[in-house]
Amino acid sequence: MGGLVQKVKLFGEYIPWFQAMRDKGAIAFDELGLPTPKTEAWKYTKLRDLNTDDLVIEPSNFLAEMRVAAEEACGCHHEDGGCGCHHHHGEGCCCGHHHEEGECHCHEEGHVCECQQKLHVPFEAYVIHFEKGKMIPPFPDFPRGVEVMNLMEAVLTEDAKEYLGKVVDIKLHPFAALNNAYMEEGIYLCVHKNVKVDKPIVLINHTKSGEENIFFNIRNLIVLEQGAEAEFVEWYNYTGAVKSRYFANVVNEIVLGKNAKLSHYKLQDEAFKANHIALSVVKQKSDSNYHNCCLQRGANIGRNEVKVLLNDENASAEVNAAYIMSGWATLDTTTDILHLSPRTYSSQLVKGVVGGEAKGVFQGKIHIAPDAVQTEGNQLHRALLLTDTAEIDVKPELEIFADDVKCSHGAASGELDENQLFYMQSRGIGREEAKQILIDAYLNEALDKVKNPEIRAWLSDYAHAPQE
Amino acid sequence: MTTPLLEIEDLHARVADKEIIKGFNLTINEGEVHAIMGPNGAGKSTLSNVICGKPGYEITSGSIRFKGKDLTKMSAEDRAREGIFLCMQYPVEIPGVAVTTFLKHSINAVRKYHNLPELDTMEFVKMVREEGKKLGIDNEMIKRPVNVGFSGGEKKRLETLQMNILKPSFAILDEADSGLDVDALKVVAEGMNALRDGKRSMLIITHYQRLLEYVVPDFVHVYADGHIVKSGDKTLAAEIEKDGYAEYTRER
Repeated sequence: MGGLVQKVKLFGEYIPWFQAMRDKGAIAFDELGLPTPKTEAWKYTKLRDLNTDDLVIEPSNFLAEMRVAAEEACGCHHEDGGCGCHHHHGEGCCCGHHHEEGECHCHEEGHVCECQQKLHVPFEAYVIHFEKGKMIPPFPDFPRGVEVMNLMEAVLTEDAKEYLGKVVDIKLHPFAALNNAYMEEGIYLCVHKNVKVDKPIVLINHTKSGEENIFFNIRNLIVLEQGAEAEFVEWYNYTGAVKSRYFANVVNEIVLGKNAKLSHYKLQDEAFKANHIALSVVKQKSDSNYHNCCLQRGANIGRNEVKVLLNDENASAEVNAAYIMSGWATLDTTTDILHLSPRTYSSQLVKGVVGGEAKGVFQGKIHIAPDAVQTEGNQLHRALLLTDTAEIDVKPELEIFADDVKCSHGAASGELDENQLFYMQSRGIGREEAKQILIDAYLNEALDKVKNPEIRAWLSDYAHAPQE
Repeated sequence: MTTPLLEIEDLHARVADKEIIKGFNLTINEGEVHAIMGPNGAGKSTLSNVICGKPGYEITSGSIRFKGKDLTKMSAEDRAREGIFLCMQYPVEIPGVAVTTFLKHSINAVRKYHNLPELDTMEFVKMVREEGKKLGIDNEMIKRPVNVGFSGGEKKRLETLQMNILKPSFAILDEADSGLDVDALKVVAEGMNALRDGKRSMLIITHYQRLLEYVVPDFVHVYADGHIVKSGDKTLAAEIEKDGYAEYTRER
C-alpha cells in the first residue's frame, strides 16, 4: 500500500492525548484532501507532480529499537564510529554506494562516511543528524538550560504536551494535518528562562541516492522561555548522483516567550525530483523577536510557509527568503504575518532567481487586527527571470483593520540589466561571469539579513543554481 | 611606420533603423591624445559605444582595427582585455556588488587573458589603496556597492581609479567632465595626465573645452552629423568655445 494515507504502526499509540492528535490529523486531512488549483492558498503551486501513489512510509525506528532492545540482539549499533549511519549489514551503505556484503567500510575505525565528509557544518554548532526523516543518535551535549530530546521522548515525559499541536491549526493546513497523523520523528527543543544558547543548533536531514519513494514527516517543537535566545538551523540535504524521488513534509511549531529571541535559518537543498513542503508557525509573546531566513535551491516542488502570530505588544518578526532554481522546479515562499496586538512589527524581503522553465511563487500576507494600532508591516519581493520560459507568480495581500498603522508591500520582477552587464564587460569581466556576479549580488541582498556572519557565509555559498 | 593603435575607416553604424555614424574616419597612433568635440545629438556616445562593443549597435560598413586586429569581431570583454577602456559619462550602479569585488573580478579577468597569474588578496588590496589614495578615494568608499549612492564626483573618481588600475593602452573618456565641480575635475584630469606616458593614447569626447584645459590634446576634431567635419590642433577647441558649433551644423 502506498500513497499519502497508509497504515503504519507508530510509537506511542497507547498514549491517549497524543494518539488523539494523530487521529484528528488523519480526519482533518481526509476532510481537506490535497489542495487543488482552486485552493486559494495553493493557487500557483500545482501539486499534480506530487505523484504520491507509490510513496512509502518506512517502519518506525522507535518500534524497531524497542524490539531490538527486547531481543538484545543488536549487532549493528555502533557507539563511537563517528559514522552515525544506521544501516543493517548487507544493505546499501549510507554513502550512497552499494557494497557487496562485508565490503562496507563505514564501521571501520577512523572511517568517516562520505555523506558526512560533504556535510561538514562550517561553523561551531550543536549538530543533530536525521536520515531520511529519522533521527540518528547520539545527541550532542547541550549546556545547562537547553533541553533537547526527540519528540517521542518529550511526549512520554509530557514536556511537549503544553504546546504540541496547539500552535498550528491543522484545519487550515492539509499537509500539517497529514504531519499530525504521522507524528513521531522530530525534536523537542526548550531553552529555559534567560538562557542564551552559545552556539547554533543545527538539524541536518540527510537523504541519499537510492532512497526512492520515501515519504517522511518531521515535526519539531521549539519553545523559548522568557528572555531565552537561540539560533536554530534546518538543513535539508541530498547527496548522490541518482535523482531520488521522495517527499519531505515538515512542520515546526515555535513558541517564543516574553523577550525571547530566535534566529531561524534554513537551507532547502533536496534532490531535484523530490518534494519538500514545510510549514513553520510561530507564536510570539511581548517584546519577543523572530528572525527568519530561508534559502531554497532544490526539490521539484518546494514550499516554505511561515506563519507568525504577533500575539502581544512589541513583538517583532523578520521573515526573509531567497530562492534560486532552473529546470522545471516550482519553489514557493508563502508568508502570513498576523499583527494581533498594538505596536507589533514585521518586515519581509524575499528575492528569487528563476531560470529554465522553473516557476517561483510568492504569496505574502500581512494581517493587521482591529486593535493592532501603531503597527508596522513591510514586505518586498523581487525576482530575476533568466529565461523567457521562467515564470513568477506573486500574490501580496494586505488585510488592514486598524487605523494608525504603517504598511508597505512591493513586488517586482525583471531580467538582468543589460547596462550593468555591459559596464562589467567593458572592464574585462566575461559576460557569463558578470551574470553570475549579478545573480549572487541579487540573492545576497536577502541573505545579508542573516545576523550570524558564519551562517550568512554558509548560505551565501549555496546561493548558486545547483548543477543538474 | 608602425601600425596605428586605432584605425577607423569609413565607419557606418546604426541603432535600430537610425543611421548615426556616417562615414567616420580616424587614426590614432601610440601616445597621441585626440579630442572629439561636437554638439549634442551628434552621435558622440554612439561612437564610443560602437568602439567598445556595446550590444544594440549595428556596424553596416567600414572597419575598426585596434593594434592591427579587427575589433568588430571581438566581444566587449575582449576589447577591454586588449586594452580599451571606456570611462563612462553615466557610470552604472550595481547594487550588492562591492567596489573591491568588482575591481578584483575586473583586474583578474584582464590578467588571465594575458596569461598572468591572478593577484592575491594582499597585492590587490595594496594596489587599490595606493591608487585610491591618489584620487582621494578612502577605504570606506571601496566597500560600498559600485556607484550606488555615489555623487557625480565620486563616480568619476571611481572611473579614474579603474582606469589607473587596469592601465589601458587606449582610454576613451566620454564626457568625463559632466557633473563635476572644478576640484573634482582637477582630480580626474590629474589621473588622466598620470596615464600619459608617451605610449598610452586617449580619445576625449566632450561638448565643452573645459576638460581640455587640463588634459591638453594633440589633435582636436569637430564631429557633426556622424562624421568628422574639421580637424586641427588644440587651438580648434578654443575656436569652438568662442564661436560654437553653428558653423558646422549649418553645413547641410
